[in-house]
Amino acid sequence: MTAVWEYLPYITWGVAWTFGLVGGGLAIGFMIGLPIAIGQIHGSEEIKALLEAYVWFFRSLPLLVLLFLFYWGVFPATGFKLDPLACSIVVLGLRSSAYQSQIFRGAIISLGEAQLLAARALGMTRLRAVFHIVLPQALRISLPGWSNEYAIMTKDSAITFALGVLEILTRTRYVVMATHEPLLPYFFAGGLFIVVTYGGTKIVNVVYERTRIPGLVGRM
Amino acid sequence: MITEARKLAKETPRRGFLKSAGIGVGGLVIGAAVGAMAAPLISPPPPKAKFADMPSAGTKIIHGMDAAYPPFTEIDPTGKAVGFDIDVVEWMAKKYGWEVEHKPWEWGAIITAVLAGDLDFVASGMTHTAARAEKVWFSVPYYSYIHQLLVLAEETRTRDEILNSGEYVAVQLGATSDEWAEKLLKKGFNFKKLGLDSYELAFKAALDGRAVAVISDSAFTVPYFKKQPDVAAKLRVLSTIGGDFTYAYATRVGDYGLRNAFNHALEEIMASPEWQDLKDKWGI
Repeated sequence: MTAVWEYLPYITWGVAWTFGLVGGGLAIGFMIGLPIAIGQIHGSEEIKALLEAYVWFFRSLPLLVLLFLFYWGVFPATGFKLDPLACSIVVLGLRSSAYQSQIFRGAIISLGEAQLLAARALGMTRLRAVFHIVLPQALRISLPGWSNEYAIMTKDSAITFALGVLEILTRTRYVVMATHEPLLPYFFAGGLFIVVTYGGTKIVNVVYERTRIPGLVGRM
Repeated sequence: MITEARKLAKETPRRGFLKSAGIGVGGLVIGAAVGAMAAPLISPPPPKAKFADMPSAGTKIIHGMDAAYPPFTEIDPTGKAVGFDIDVVEWMAKKYGWEVEHKPWEWGAIITAVLAGDLDFVASGMTHTAARAEKVWFSVPYYSYIHQLLVLAEETRTRDEILNSGEYVAVQLGATSDEWAEKLLKKGFNFKKLGLDSYELAFKAALDGRAVAVISDSAFTVPYFKKQPDVAAKLRVLSTIGGDFTYAYATRVGDYGLRNAFNHALEEIMASPEWQDLKDKWGI
Protein backbone atom coordinates (compact mmCIF):
# COMPACT_ATOMS: atom_id res chain seq x y z
CA MET A 1 0.00 0.00 0.00
CA THR A 2 1.24 3.51 -0.82
CA ALA A 3 2.41 5.50 2.22
CA VAL A 4 -0.03 8.15 3.39
CA TRP A 5 2.54 10.97 3.32
CA GLU A 6 2.95 10.47 -0.42
CA TYR A 7 -0.62 11.72 -0.83
CA LEU A 8 -0.05 14.96 1.06
CA PRO A 9 0.86 17.03 -2.05
CA TYR A 10 -2.40 15.86 -3.64
CA ILE A 11 -4.35 17.12 -0.61
CA THR A 12 -2.36 20.37 -0.65
CA TRP A 13 -3.51 21.10 -4.20
CA GLY A 14 -7.00 21.34 -2.73
CA VAL A 15 -5.94 24.72 -1.33
CA ALA A 16 -6.14 26.14 -4.86
CA TRP A 17 -9.76 24.97 -5.14
CA THR A 18 -10.56 26.31 -1.67
CA PHE A 19 -9.12 29.69 -2.69
CA GLY A 20 -11.24 29.56 -5.84
CA LEU A 21 -14.37 28.88 -3.79
CA VAL A 22 -13.62 31.53 -1.17
CA GLY A 23 -12.35 34.15 -3.62
CA GLY A 24 -15.29 33.68 -5.97
CA GLY A 25 -17.79 33.54 -3.12
CA LEU A 26 -16.46 36.68 -1.41
CA ALA A 27 -16.39 38.58 -4.73
CA ILE A 28 -20.00 37.69 -5.55
CA GLY A 29 -20.97 38.40 -1.95
CA PHE A 30 -19.34 41.83 -2.13
CA MET A 31 -20.91 42.76 -5.46
CA ILE A 32 -24.40 41.86 -4.23
CA GLY A 33 -23.95 42.63 -0.52
CA LEU A 34 -22.87 46.27 -0.90
CA PRO A 35 -25.87 47.35 -3.02
CA ILE A 36 -28.12 45.47 -0.57
CA ALA A 37 -26.64 47.44 2.35
CA ILE A 38 -27.15 50.75 0.52
CA GLY A 39 -30.68 49.72 -0.46
CA GLN A 40 -31.54 48.71 3.08
CA ILE A 41 -30.54 52.15 4.38
CA HIS A 42 -31.49 54.50 1.56
CA GLY A 43 -34.09 52.50 -0.40
CA SER A 44 -37.86 52.88 -0.44
CA GLU A 45 -40.05 50.87 1.92
CA GLU A 46 -40.76 48.29 -0.80
CA ILE A 47 -37.08 47.83 -1.65
CA LYS A 48 -36.23 47.54 2.04
CA ALA A 49 -38.90 44.84 2.48
CA LEU A 50 -37.62 42.89 -0.53
CA LEU A 51 -33.99 43.10 0.58
CA GLU A 52 -34.92 42.09 4.10
CA ALA A 53 -36.65 38.99 2.72
CA TYR A 54 -33.55 38.16 0.64
CA VAL A 55 -31.22 38.54 3.63
CA TRP A 56 -33.57 36.61 5.88
CA PHE A 57 -33.79 33.73 3.35
CA PHE A 58 -30.04 33.27 2.87
CA ARG A 59 -29.21 33.71 6.55
CA SER A 60 -31.87 31.25 7.71
CA LEU A 61 -31.05 28.21 5.59
CA PRO A 62 -28.13 25.88 6.36
CA LEU A 63 -25.42 26.00 3.71
CA LEU A 64 -25.85 22.34 2.82
CA VAL A 65 -29.57 22.87 2.19
CA LEU A 66 -28.77 25.86 -0.04
CA LEU A 67 -26.18 23.85 -1.98
CA PHE A 68 -28.59 20.98 -2.62
CA LEU A 69 -31.48 23.35 -3.31
CA PHE A 70 -29.56 25.21 -6.01
CA TYR A 71 -27.60 22.27 -7.46
CA TRP A 72 -30.51 19.85 -7.64
CA GLY A 73 -33.46 22.22 -7.81
CA VAL A 74 -33.11 25.84 -8.81
CA PHE A 75 -30.43 25.63 -11.52
CA PRO A 76 -31.79 22.54 -13.33
CA ALA A 77 -35.34 23.96 -13.14
CA THR A 78 -34.25 27.28 -14.64
CA GLY A 79 -32.16 25.67 -17.38
CA PHE A 80 -28.74 26.70 -16.07
CA LYS A 81 -26.12 24.01 -16.40
CA LEU A 82 -23.60 24.70 -13.69
CA ASP A 83 -20.93 22.21 -12.67
CA PRO A 84 -20.44 21.54 -8.94
CA LEU A 85 -17.62 24.10 -8.59
CA ALA A 86 -19.49 26.94 -10.31
CA CYS A 87 -22.69 26.12 -8.41
CA SER A 88 -20.80 26.10 -5.09
CA ILE A 89 -19.18 29.48 -5.82
CA VAL A 90 -22.56 31.01 -6.68
CA VAL A 91 -24.25 29.59 -3.57
CA LEU A 92 -21.38 30.65 -1.28
CA GLY A 93 -21.57 34.09 -2.91
CA LEU A 94 -25.33 34.48 -2.50
CA ARG A 95 -25.17 33.39 1.12
CA SER A 96 -22.19 35.62 1.81
CA SER A 97 -23.95 38.59 0.20
CA ALA A 98 -26.61 38.35 2.92
CA TYR A 99 -23.96 38.39 5.67
CA GLN A 100 -21.71 40.95 3.98
CA SER A 101 -24.69 43.29 3.49
CA GLN A 102 -25.16 43.39 7.26
CA ILE A 103 -21.45 44.09 7.82
CA PHE A 104 -21.58 47.04 5.37
CA ARG A 105 -24.92 48.17 6.70
CA GLY A 106 -23.56 48.37 10.25
CA ALA A 107 -20.49 50.26 9.04
CA ILE A 108 -22.58 52.77 7.07
CA ILE A 109 -24.96 53.35 9.98
CA SER A 110 -22.02 53.84 12.37
CA LEU A 111 -20.93 56.87 10.34
CA GLY A 112 -24.10 58.68 11.27
CA GLU A 113 -26.33 61.00 9.28
CA ALA A 114 -24.24 64.14 9.82
CA GLN A 115 -21.63 63.45 7.13
CA LEU A 116 -24.30 62.74 4.56
CA LEU A 117 -26.12 65.97 5.44
CA ALA A 118 -22.86 67.93 5.25
CA ALA A 119 -22.16 66.50 1.79
CA ARG A 120 -25.68 67.43 0.67
CA ALA A 121 -25.14 70.94 2.07
CA LEU A 122 -22.04 71.21 -0.13
CA GLY A 123 -24.25 70.52 -3.14
CA MET A 124 -23.62 66.82 -3.68
CA THR A 125 -26.47 64.59 -4.80
CA ARG A 126 -27.49 61.83 -2.40
CA LEU A 127 -25.88 59.19 -4.67
CA ARG A 128 -22.59 61.10 -4.99
CA ALA A 129 -22.50 61.66 -1.25
CA VAL A 130 -22.93 57.93 -0.63
CA PHE A 131 -20.22 56.95 -3.14
CA HIS A 132 -17.67 59.69 -2.36
CA ILE A 133 -18.16 60.35 1.35
CA VAL A 134 -19.91 57.40 3.02
CA LEU A 135 -18.57 54.30 1.25
CA PRO A 136 -14.82 55.10 1.37
CA GLN A 137 -15.09 55.32 5.14
CA ALA A 138 -17.63 52.55 5.63
CA LEU A 139 -15.59 50.02 3.65
CA ARG A 140 -12.56 50.69 5.83
CA ILE A 141 -14.59 50.37 9.00
CA SER A 142 -16.10 47.10 7.78
CA LEU A 143 -12.75 45.37 7.13
CA PRO A 144 -12.49 43.64 10.55
CA GLY A 145 -16.00 42.21 10.16
CA TRP A 146 -15.20 41.31 6.59
CA SER A 147 -12.08 39.37 7.62
CA ASN A 148 -14.34 37.39 9.91
CA GLU A 149 -16.53 36.58 6.91
CA TYR A 150 -13.41 35.37 5.05
CA ALA A 151 -12.53 33.02 7.92
CA ILE A 152 -16.09 31.68 8.15
CA MET A 153 -16.37 31.12 4.42
CA THR A 154 -13.01 29.34 4.26
CA LYS A 155 -14.21 26.83 6.81
CA ASP A 156 -17.70 26.59 5.29
CA SER A 157 -16.22 25.89 1.85
CA ALA A 158 -15.39 22.37 3.06
CA ILE A 159 -19.08 21.48 2.91
CA THR A 160 -18.92 21.57 -0.89
CA PHE A 161 -17.42 18.08 -0.60
CA ALA A 162 -21.08 17.02 -0.71
CA LEU A 163 -21.10 17.99 -4.41
CA GLY A 164 -17.67 16.46 -5.05
CA VAL A 165 -15.80 19.75 -5.50
CA LEU A 166 -12.10 18.83 -5.33
CA GLU A 167 -11.24 21.12 -2.42
CA ILE A 168 -9.22 20.11 0.63
CA LEU A 169 -11.81 17.91 2.39
CA THR A 170 -12.94 16.01 -0.74
CA ARG A 171 -9.33 15.15 -1.57
CA THR A 172 -8.67 14.12 2.01
CA ARG A 173 -11.67 11.83 1.93
CA TYR A 174 -10.40 10.17 -1.25
CA VAL A 175 -7.01 9.66 0.37
CA VAL A 176 -8.54 8.17 3.51
CA MET A 177 -10.47 5.72 1.34
CA ALA A 178 -7.37 4.82 -0.68
CA THR A 179 -5.06 4.35 2.30
CA HIS A 180 -7.52 3.31 5.06
CA GLU A 181 -5.64 5.74 7.27
CA PRO A 182 -7.74 8.63 8.63
CA LEU A 183 -5.52 10.26 11.28
CA LEU A 184 -2.72 11.85 9.26
CA PRO A 185 -4.83 12.99 6.25
CA TYR A 186 -7.50 14.68 8.40
CA PHE A 187 -4.84 16.17 10.69
CA PHE A 188 -3.01 17.54 7.66
CA ALA A 189 -6.26 18.90 6.17
CA GLY A 190 -6.95 20.65 9.49
CA GLY A 191 -3.48 22.19 9.34
CA LEU A 192 -4.10 23.47 5.82
CA PHE A 193 -7.35 25.12 6.92
CA ILE A 194 -5.55 26.79 9.83
CA VAL A 195 -2.87 28.16 7.49
CA VAL A 196 -5.39 29.40 4.92
CA THR A 197 -7.68 30.95 7.54
CA TYR A 198 -4.92 32.52 9.63
CA GLY A 199 -2.91 33.70 6.62
CA GLY A 200 -5.88 35.28 4.88
CA THR A 201 -7.08 37.01 8.05
CA LYS A 202 -3.57 38.40 8.63
CA ILE A 203 -3.51 39.83 5.09
CA VAL A 204 -6.87 41.54 5.64
CA ASN A 205 -5.53 42.94 8.93
CA VAL A 206 -2.53 44.44 7.13
CA VAL A 207 -4.86 46.07 4.60
CA TYR A 208 -6.97 47.38 7.47
CA GLU A 209 -3.99 48.89 9.29
CA ARG A 210 -2.79 50.58 6.10
CA THR A 211 -6.16 52.03 5.20
CA ARG A 212 -7.35 52.76 8.75
CA ILE A 213 -8.63 56.28 9.40
CA PRO A 214 -6.78 57.49 12.53
CA GLY A 215 -9.16 58.72 15.17
CA LEU A 216 -12.24 57.24 13.52
CA VAL A 217 -11.65 53.55 14.24
CA GLY A 218 -9.28 51.75 16.58
CA ARG A 219 -6.47 49.29 15.97
CA MET A 220 -7.26 45.61 15.49
CA MET B 1 -59.11 61.54 11.94
CA ILE B 2 -55.97 63.17 10.57
CA THR B 3 -53.84 60.49 12.20
CA GLU B 4 -55.95 57.78 10.58
CA ALA B 5 -55.66 59.45 7.18
CA ARG B 6 -51.89 59.62 7.57
CA LYS B 7 -51.76 55.96 8.54
CA LEU B 8 -53.87 55.07 5.50
CA ALA B 9 -51.67 57.18 3.22
CA LYS B 10 -48.59 55.41 4.59
CA GLU B 11 -50.08 51.95 4.09
CA THR B 12 -51.43 52.56 0.57
CA PRO B 13 -48.14 52.21 -1.36
CA ARG B 14 -47.30 49.01 0.51
CA ARG B 15 -50.75 47.59 -0.27
CA GLY B 16 -50.26 48.58 -3.92
CA PHE B 17 -46.87 46.87 -3.92
CA LEU B 18 -48.25 43.73 -2.32
CA LYS B 19 -51.08 43.65 -4.85
CA SER B 20 -48.64 44.01 -7.75
CA ALA B 21 -46.40 41.31 -6.27
CA GLY B 22 -49.43 39.03 -5.81
CA ILE B 23 -50.50 39.55 -9.43
CA GLY B 24 -46.91 38.90 -10.57
CA VAL B 25 -46.58 35.65 -8.61
CA GLY B 26 -50.04 34.51 -9.72
CA GLY B 27 -49.11 35.23 -13.34
CA LEU B 28 -45.91 33.22 -13.02
CA VAL B 29 -47.77 30.24 -11.53
CA ILE B 30 -50.44 30.29 -14.25
CA GLY B 31 -47.78 30.76 -16.94
CA ALA B 32 -45.75 27.83 -15.61
CA ALA B 33 -48.87 25.61 -15.49
CA VAL B 34 -49.88 26.51 -19.07
CA GLY B 35 -46.29 26.03 -20.24
CA ALA B 36 -46.03 22.62 -18.59
CA MET B 37 -49.29 21.50 -20.24
CA ALA B 38 -48.32 22.85 -23.64
CA ALA B 39 -44.75 21.52 -23.58
CA PRO B 40 -45.56 17.99 -24.82
CA LEU B 41 -47.46 19.52 -27.79
CA ILE B 42 -44.64 21.74 -28.95
CA SER B 43 -41.55 19.75 -27.89
CA PRO B 44 -39.21 19.03 -30.81
CA PRO B 45 -38.27 15.39 -31.49
CA PRO B 46 -35.41 14.21 -29.26
CA PRO B 47 -31.98 14.77 -30.81
CA LYS B 48 -29.91 11.80 -31.90
CA ALA B 49 -27.88 10.39 -29.00
CA LYS B 50 -24.22 11.45 -28.85
CA PHE B 51 -22.91 7.90 -29.23
CA ALA B 52 -25.77 6.26 -31.12
CA ASP B 53 -23.01 5.02 -33.44
CA MET B 54 -19.80 3.41 -32.31
CA PRO B 55 -17.34 6.18 -31.29
CA SER B 56 -14.48 6.30 -33.79
CA ALA B 57 -10.77 6.25 -32.92
CA GLY B 58 -9.62 9.55 -31.44
CA THR B 59 -13.04 10.35 -29.94
CA LYS B 60 -12.88 11.88 -26.47
CA ILE B 61 -15.08 10.06 -23.96
CA ILE B 62 -15.58 11.18 -20.36
CA HIS B 63 -15.56 8.44 -17.75
CA GLY B 64 -17.38 9.21 -14.50
CA MET B 65 -15.97 7.61 -11.37
CA ASP B 66 -16.28 7.65 -7.60
CA ALA B 67 -12.72 8.36 -6.46
CA ALA B 68 -13.55 6.95 -3.02
CA TYR B 69 -14.36 3.38 -4.03
CA PRO B 70 -11.22 1.27 -3.82
CA PRO B 71 -10.15 -1.03 -5.34
CA PHE B 72 -12.48 -0.35 -8.27
CA THR B 73 -11.83 3.39 -8.60
CA GLU B 74 -9.51 5.45 -6.40
CA ILE B 75 -6.65 7.91 -6.77
CA ASP B 76 -2.87 7.52 -6.43
CA PRO B 77 -0.58 10.05 -4.69
CA THR B 78 -0.35 12.17 -7.84
CA GLY B 79 -4.14 12.41 -8.06
CA LYS B 80 -4.25 10.02 -11.03
CA ALA B 81 -7.25 7.69 -11.23
CA VAL B 82 -6.31 4.07 -10.58
CA GLY B 83 -8.20 0.86 -9.82
CA PHE B 84 -9.68 -2.24 -11.38
CA ASP B 85 -12.29 -0.34 -13.40
CA ILE B 86 -9.68 2.20 -14.54
CA ASP B 87 -7.43 -0.57 -15.87
CA VAL B 88 -10.31 -2.15 -17.79
CA VAL B 89 -11.44 1.20 -19.24
CA GLU B 90 -7.83 1.96 -20.25
CA TRP B 91 -7.65 -1.42 -21.95
CA MET B 92 -10.81 -0.58 -23.92
CA ALA B 93 -9.53 2.89 -24.81
CA LYS B 94 -6.40 1.28 -26.25
CA LYS B 95 -8.44 -1.32 -28.12
CA TYR B 96 -10.75 1.23 -29.76
CA GLY B 97 -8.30 4.14 -29.96
CA TRP B 98 -10.46 6.40 -27.78
CA GLU B 99 -9.19 9.23 -25.66
CA VAL B 100 -10.74 8.63 -22.22
CA GLU B 101 -10.77 11.24 -19.47
CA HIS B 102 -11.36 9.86 -15.95
CA LYS B 103 -13.43 12.37 -14.03
CA PRO B 104 -14.13 12.00 -10.29
CA TRP B 105 -17.75 12.83 -9.47
CA GLU B 106 -19.88 12.81 -6.35
CA TRP B 107 -21.55 9.40 -6.30
CA GLY B 108 -25.02 10.67 -5.44
CA ALA B 109 -25.00 12.95 -8.49
CA ILE B 110 -23.24 10.69 -10.96
CA ILE B 111 -26.27 9.46 -12.92
CA THR B 112 -27.63 12.99 -13.17
CA ALA B 113 -24.25 14.05 -14.57
CA VAL B 114 -24.42 11.31 -17.23
CA LEU B 115 -27.93 12.40 -18.22
CA ALA B 116 -26.87 16.06 -18.31
CA GLY B 117 -23.91 15.23 -20.58
CA ASP B 118 -21.19 16.16 -18.07
CA LEU B 119 -20.08 12.52 -18.17
CA ASP B 120 -20.46 9.97 -20.97
CA PHE B 121 -20.52 6.79 -18.90
CA VAL B 122 -19.95 5.40 -15.42
CA ALA B 123 -17.62 2.47 -14.72
CA SER B 124 -17.06 2.57 -10.98
CA GLY B 125 -18.52 -0.46 -9.30
CA MET B 126 -22.06 0.58 -10.17
CA THR B 127 -24.71 -1.94 -9.24
CA HIS B 128 -27.26 -2.72 -11.93
CA THR B 129 -30.57 -1.96 -10.20
CA ALA B 130 -34.09 -1.62 -11.53
CA ALA B 131 -34.34 1.98 -10.37
CA ARG B 132 -31.13 2.99 -12.16
CA ALA B 133 -32.10 1.04 -15.27
CA GLU B 134 -35.10 3.35 -15.66
CA LYS B 135 -32.67 6.21 -16.29
CA VAL B 136 -29.58 4.71 -17.96
CA TRP B 137 -28.59 1.77 -20.12
CA PHE B 138 -26.38 -0.88 -18.55
CA SER B 139 -23.72 -3.02 -20.19
CA VAL B 140 -23.34 -6.75 -19.64
CA PRO B 141 -22.43 -7.48 -15.99
CA TYR B 142 -18.74 -7.89 -15.19
CA TYR B 143 -18.63 -8.53 -11.45
CA SER B 144 -21.03 -10.11 -8.98
CA TYR B 145 -21.22 -9.79 -5.23
CA ILE B 146 -23.49 -10.61 -2.34
CA HIS B 147 -24.62 -8.78 0.78
CA GLN B 148 -23.48 -10.01 4.15
CA LEU B 149 -24.29 -9.50 7.80
CA LEU B 150 -21.02 -9.18 9.72
CA VAL B 151 -20.61 -9.29 13.49
CA LEU B 152 -17.74 -9.33 15.99
CA ALA B 153 -15.87 -12.65 16.00
CA GLU B 154 -16.97 -13.41 19.58
CA GLU B 155 -20.68 -12.74 18.89
CA THR B 156 -22.82 -15.76 19.84
CA ARG B 157 -26.30 -14.61 18.82
CA THR B 158 -28.04 -15.85 15.68
CA ARG B 159 -28.94 -13.66 12.70
CA ASP B 160 -32.57 -13.22 13.81
CA GLU B 161 -31.54 -12.46 17.39
CA ILE B 162 -29.17 -9.74 16.14
CA LEU B 163 -31.78 -8.24 13.78
CA ASN B 164 -34.36 -8.24 16.59
CA SER B 165 -32.06 -6.98 19.33
CA GLY B 166 -33.25 -3.36 19.07
CA GLU B 167 -29.57 -2.33 18.79
CA TYR B 168 -27.70 -0.49 16.04
CA VAL B 169 -26.79 -2.16 12.76
CA ALA B 170 -24.35 -0.10 10.68
CA VAL B 171 -24.65 0.45 6.92
CA GLN B 172 -23.17 2.76 4.31
CA LEU B 173 -25.63 5.57 3.60
CA GLY B 174 -27.07 5.50 0.08
CA ALA B 175 -25.47 2.15 -0.72
CA THR B 176 -27.30 -1.10 -1.44
CA SER B 177 -26.64 -2.14 2.18
CA ASP B 178 -28.73 0.86 3.22
CA GLU B 179 -31.55 -0.38 0.96
CA TRP B 180 -31.26 -3.82 2.57
CA ALA B 181 -31.55 -2.36 6.05
CA GLU B 182 -34.72 -0.55 4.99
CA LYS B 183 -36.17 -3.72 3.48
CA LEU B 184 -35.45 -5.68 6.66
CA LEU B 185 -37.03 -2.98 8.84
CA LYS B 186 -40.12 -2.99 6.62
CA LYS B 187 -40.33 -6.76 7.06
CA GLY B 188 -40.68 -6.15 10.80
CA PHE B 189 -37.19 -6.78 12.14
CA ASN B 190 -36.44 -4.74 15.22
CA PHE B 191 -33.07 -2.95 15.03
CA LYS B 192 -31.87 0.64 14.64
CA LYS B 193 -30.09 1.63 11.44
CA LEU B 194 -26.79 3.47 11.86
CA GLY B 195 -26.12 5.14 8.48
CA LEU B 196 -22.47 6.12 7.97
CA ASP B 197 -20.41 7.66 5.18
CA SER B 198 -18.54 4.48 4.19
CA TYR B 199 -18.31 0.75 4.85
CA GLU B 200 -15.01 1.40 6.56
CA LEU B 201 -16.72 3.61 9.14
CA ALA B 202 -19.48 1.00 9.52
CA PHE B 203 -16.83 -1.61 10.44
CA LYS B 204 -15.21 0.87 12.81
CA ALA B 205 -18.58 1.39 14.51
CA ALA B 206 -18.88 -2.37 15.07
CA LEU B 207 -15.30 -2.61 16.40
CA ASP B 208 -15.95 0.34 18.75
CA GLY B 209 -19.14 -1.28 20.06
CA ARG B 210 -21.43 1.39 18.62
CA ALA B 211 -23.14 -1.19 16.39
CA VAL B 212 -23.74 -4.91 16.92
CA ALA B 213 -23.50 -5.76 13.23
CA VAL B 214 -22.70 -4.37 9.79
CA ILE B 215 -24.54 -4.97 6.54
CA SER B 216 -21.84 -4.87 3.89
CA ASP B 217 -21.25 -6.26 0.42
CA SER B 218 -18.56 -8.71 -0.63
CA ALA B 219 -17.32 -6.34 -3.36
CA PHE B 220 -16.01 -4.12 -0.61
CA THR B 221 -15.40 -6.62 2.17
CA VAL B 222 -13.24 -9.15 0.28
CA PRO B 223 -10.51 -6.72 -0.93
CA TYR B 224 -10.78 -4.64 2.26
CA PHE B 225 -10.17 -7.62 4.51
CA LYS B 226 -7.17 -8.63 2.37
CA LYS B 227 -5.68 -5.19 2.99
CA GLN B 228 -6.72 -5.03 6.64
CA PRO B 229 -6.13 -8.50 8.15
CA ASP B 230 -6.30 -7.12 11.72
CA VAL B 231 -9.86 -5.88 11.09
CA ALA B 232 -10.76 -9.13 9.32
CA ALA B 233 -9.60 -11.13 12.37
CA LYS B 234 -12.03 -9.28 14.66
CA LEU B 235 -15.13 -9.74 12.46
CA ARG B 236 -16.92 -12.67 10.89
CA VAL B 237 -19.71 -13.19 8.37
CA LEU B 238 -22.83 -14.29 10.26
CA SER B 239 -24.98 -14.81 7.18
CA THR B 240 -25.57 -13.66 3.64
CA ILE B 241 -28.55 -11.49 2.76
CA GLY B 242 -30.50 -11.83 -0.49
CA GLY B 243 -29.15 -12.95 -3.85
CA ASP B 244 -26.35 -11.87 -6.17
CA PHE B 245 -25.96 -8.29 -7.39
CA THR B 246 -23.87 -7.30 -10.38
CA TYR B 247 -21.75 -4.35 -11.48
CA ALA B 248 -22.10 -2.98 -14.99
CA TYR B 249 -21.18 0.12 -17.00
CA ALA B 250 -23.89 2.78 -17.35
CA THR B 251 -24.40 4.89 -20.49
CA ARG B 252 -27.08 7.36 -21.54
CA VAL B 253 -30.23 5.88 -23.02
CA GLY B 254 -29.76 5.91 -26.80
CA ASP B 255 -25.96 5.60 -26.77
CA TYR B 256 -26.31 2.30 -28.56
CA GLY B 257 -22.87 2.39 -30.19
CA LEU B 258 -21.04 3.08 -26.94
CA ARG B 259 -22.89 0.43 -24.98
CA ASN B 260 -22.30 -2.18 -27.71
CA ALA B 261 -18.61 -1.34 -27.76
CA PHE B 262 -18.48 -1.87 -23.97
CA ASN B 263 -20.38 -5.15 -24.22
CA HIS B 264 -18.07 -6.62 -26.87
CA ALA B 265 -14.92 -5.39 -25.12
CA LEU B 266 -16.07 -6.71 -21.73
CA GLU B 267 -16.88 -10.13 -23.16
CA GLU B 268 -13.50 -10.21 -24.87
CA ILE B 269 -11.45 -9.28 -21.82
CA MET B 270 -13.49 -11.48 -19.46
CA ALA B 271 -12.70 -14.46 -21.72
CA SER B 272 -8.97 -13.73 -21.62
CA PRO B 273 -6.37 -14.61 -18.93
CA GLU B 274 -5.82 -10.87 -18.47
CA TRP B 275 -9.12 -10.65 -16.57
CA GLN B 276 -7.94 -12.91 -13.77
CA ASP B 277 -4.61 -11.07 -13.71
CA LEU B 278 -6.45 -7.79 -13.17
CA LYS B 279 -8.64 -9.32 -10.46
CA ASP B 280 -5.56 -10.67 -8.71
CA LYS B 281 -3.80 -7.32 -9.05
CA TRP B 282 -6.63 -5.50 -7.26
CA GLY B 283 -7.48 -8.31 -4.82
CA ILE B 284 -11.10 -8.83 -5.92
